[in-house]
Amino acid sequence: MNVLEIRNLTKTFGDFIAVDNMNLSVREGEIFGFLGANGAGKSTTINMISSLLRITKGEVRLLGKDIVKENKFAKMNIGIVPQDLAIYEEMTAYENVSFFAGLYGLRGSLLKERTEEALEFVGLGDKHKALPKSFSGGMKRRLNIACAIAHRPKLIIMDEPTVGIDPQSRNYILNSVKKLNQMGCSVIYTSHYMEEVEEICTRIAIVDHGKIIAEGTKEQLKSIITDTKETWIGVKNAERLDLDALKGIPGVNAVRMEEQSVKIISRGEINNLNWVIQQLIRDQVEISSVEEQAPNLETVFLTLTGRNLRD
Amino acid sequence: MNVLNIALFEMKRDLRDRRTLLFMLAFPIVLILILGTALTNAFHTGIEVGEMKLLVNNTARSEQLQSYWNGFAHTIGKEGVELTPAASGIDGKKAVADNQFTAYAEIDDNGIRFYGSSRDTIASNIIQGMLTSFADKYNLAAAAVRNNPEAAHAIIAGSTSAGSFVQESSLDPDRKPSSIDYYAIAESTMIAFYACMSASWLIRGEVKRKTAIRLAAAPVGKMEIFAGKVIASTIINFLCILAVVLFSKYAFNANWGDHLGSVFLLLFTEVLLAVSFGLGIAFLFKDDAVNAVMMIFVQVASMIGGAYFPVDEASGFFGAIANISPLRWANEALMNLIYNNDLYAVFPVIGLNTAIAAAFLAFVAIAMRKREAF
Repeated sequence: MNVLEIRNLTKTFGDFIAVDNMNLSVREGEIFGFLGANGAGKSTTINMISSLLRITKGEVRLLGKDIVKENKFAKMNIGIVPQDLAIYEEMTAYENVSFFAGLYGLRGSLLKERTEEALEFVGLGDKHKALPKSFSGGMKRRLNIACAIAHRPKLIIMDEPTVGIDPQSRNYILNSVKKLNQMGCSVIYTSHYMEEVEEICTRIAIVDHGKIIAEGTKEQLKSIITDTKETWIGVKNAERLDLDALKGIPGVNAVRMEEQSVKIISRGEINNLNWVIQQLIRDQVEISSVEEQAPNLETVFLTLTGRNLRD
Repeated sequence: MNVLNIALFEMKRDLRDRRTLLFMLAFPIVLILILGTALTNAFHTGIEVGEMKLLVNNTARSEQLQSYWNGFAHTIGKEGVELTPAASGIDGKKAVADNQFTAYAEIDDNGIRFYGSSRDTIASNIIQGMLTSFADKYNLAAAAVRNNPEAAHAIIAGSTSAGSFVQESSLDPDRKPSSIDYYAIAESTMIAFYACMSASWLIRGEVKRKTAIRLAAAPVGKMEIFAGKVIASTIINFLCILAVVLFSKYAFNANWGDHLGSVFLLLFTEVLLAVSFGLGIAFLFKDDAVNAVMMIFVQVASMIGGAYFPVDEASGFFGAIANISPLRWANEALMNLIYNNDLYAVFPVIGLNTAIAAAFLAFVAIAMRKREAF
């Protein structure tokens, strides 16, 4: 059964089409990765699903019900973890979770029980009386999650929940997402960290210019680009590199500079490594290493959109 | 229920904001104390009367008049009037013109002629009043002698008692505001209007803090959020005003009159007006401009409304500007209520405050409904 179904969803701001006739479905029990570079349309889509923005055209159904016609039902069954911290710094962790849970109709002992449960879930049970301003970035992110889950939603939308936190907190959050999923929640997960998406998502959609350009499991997505290869060349004086010249080499699909390495994605059947190296020599670039890697999701994303996920 | 929850949460948050709370409480109290103390003299209605020197040329032959005059002279001497018999040949009028005496009186059997100094009119008028009183009473006694000599004696005896020739009278001598009284009112209405500053953040703050996303995603209506916030802000700000009024009343002995209920009702509507005004401005102007617009309006309204110095009847452009200050309406109404006992003075202002507040709230409610998210 589909938890969420999006049909021909469109959102325009004046003449600008932010989401263009999008079709998508999220199945029950899935952790659904929603990938797109900045401005691709994923936040607009999420905001329409969460009723933060009005739908220009199309339909969104949650658990089979139209979210516009059955707005209260939809809101009751969605939990949103915004990209930005959405908490009150001057209120305790308990008061934050309790207030937001209260907006979903929880009262009295049930409210107390669910608030404590949510705080325990994110590992802040012993910090319930503390003010968020005394929290680390990771703890604030966890509180941000607790505020979204106390009312036990069927679908949780997590918009980059691990931005700017330490690896330990990131692991904690990723494990929490898995645990929530095991408890029966479906999750829509967006992130700029491809390895997170690879680790936890069961299905992934890539959105670009307001449209879904690819959708499937990570294996299915990687299979789209079986005819490509990814070459990493370590360079020392990267500033001399003529990227346009590299892009002009036959068979090269995309070129990306990453710190002291150049990532070159090429068509698999063309052996163009000699030409690439000759170009680097022409540019008087010092080569430190050459490595060929199997394509990953990052490669898929770059191949399909021509952009890095973090662009 | 959601409205109540939102209002309670908002009030709790406001109470945790110690800086704003301290400002709302300490700022008016300190201003009352400083301005009330520093400008005491500006509100002092007493007049210093200089020396009262009366030059007298008494040529009356009537024994009765002489006897009555002597009693009068003794009495007013005790009241601070220095009587000097005119030496023969002295020109009394010239002596007064030369400022040697405050007044000159010629007394004979036909009556009293009085010449007062134009330099010290107050002292001169006081002496004139005393002499007029003396003449009236002597005439009364002279008339009584013919019919009832005992009554005449009583009139003369009564007239020579101290202080009977000058009596202080006033329409309502106790009901004049001192500087503390004035600034207690002016600063309370000013701080009531300051509620617009915090109110401008009610919705804007949620957007800045990003919590607006959660509020918009929750199954509560925008109007419930709006109502909860307006209620909370109005109550918290009104409680601050209540504390300031009671503190000024009991700590500074400021006069708030006999109709505290009406005073509080007016202040409550002023807070409501300020809260709705703040919300309205936040929706009318872009984020960066809101603070500037608010600060300018509050300061100008305070200044022309009489928060820093009393503004008397103004005319022309300044008068027109002054009349748009809600603080001026409130201050005038409270002054009338407290010092003229005019209970009806507050009702037009209460009505006006409520009507303007309703207009702003309706505007914000419509604007919020039209907006996507917040």
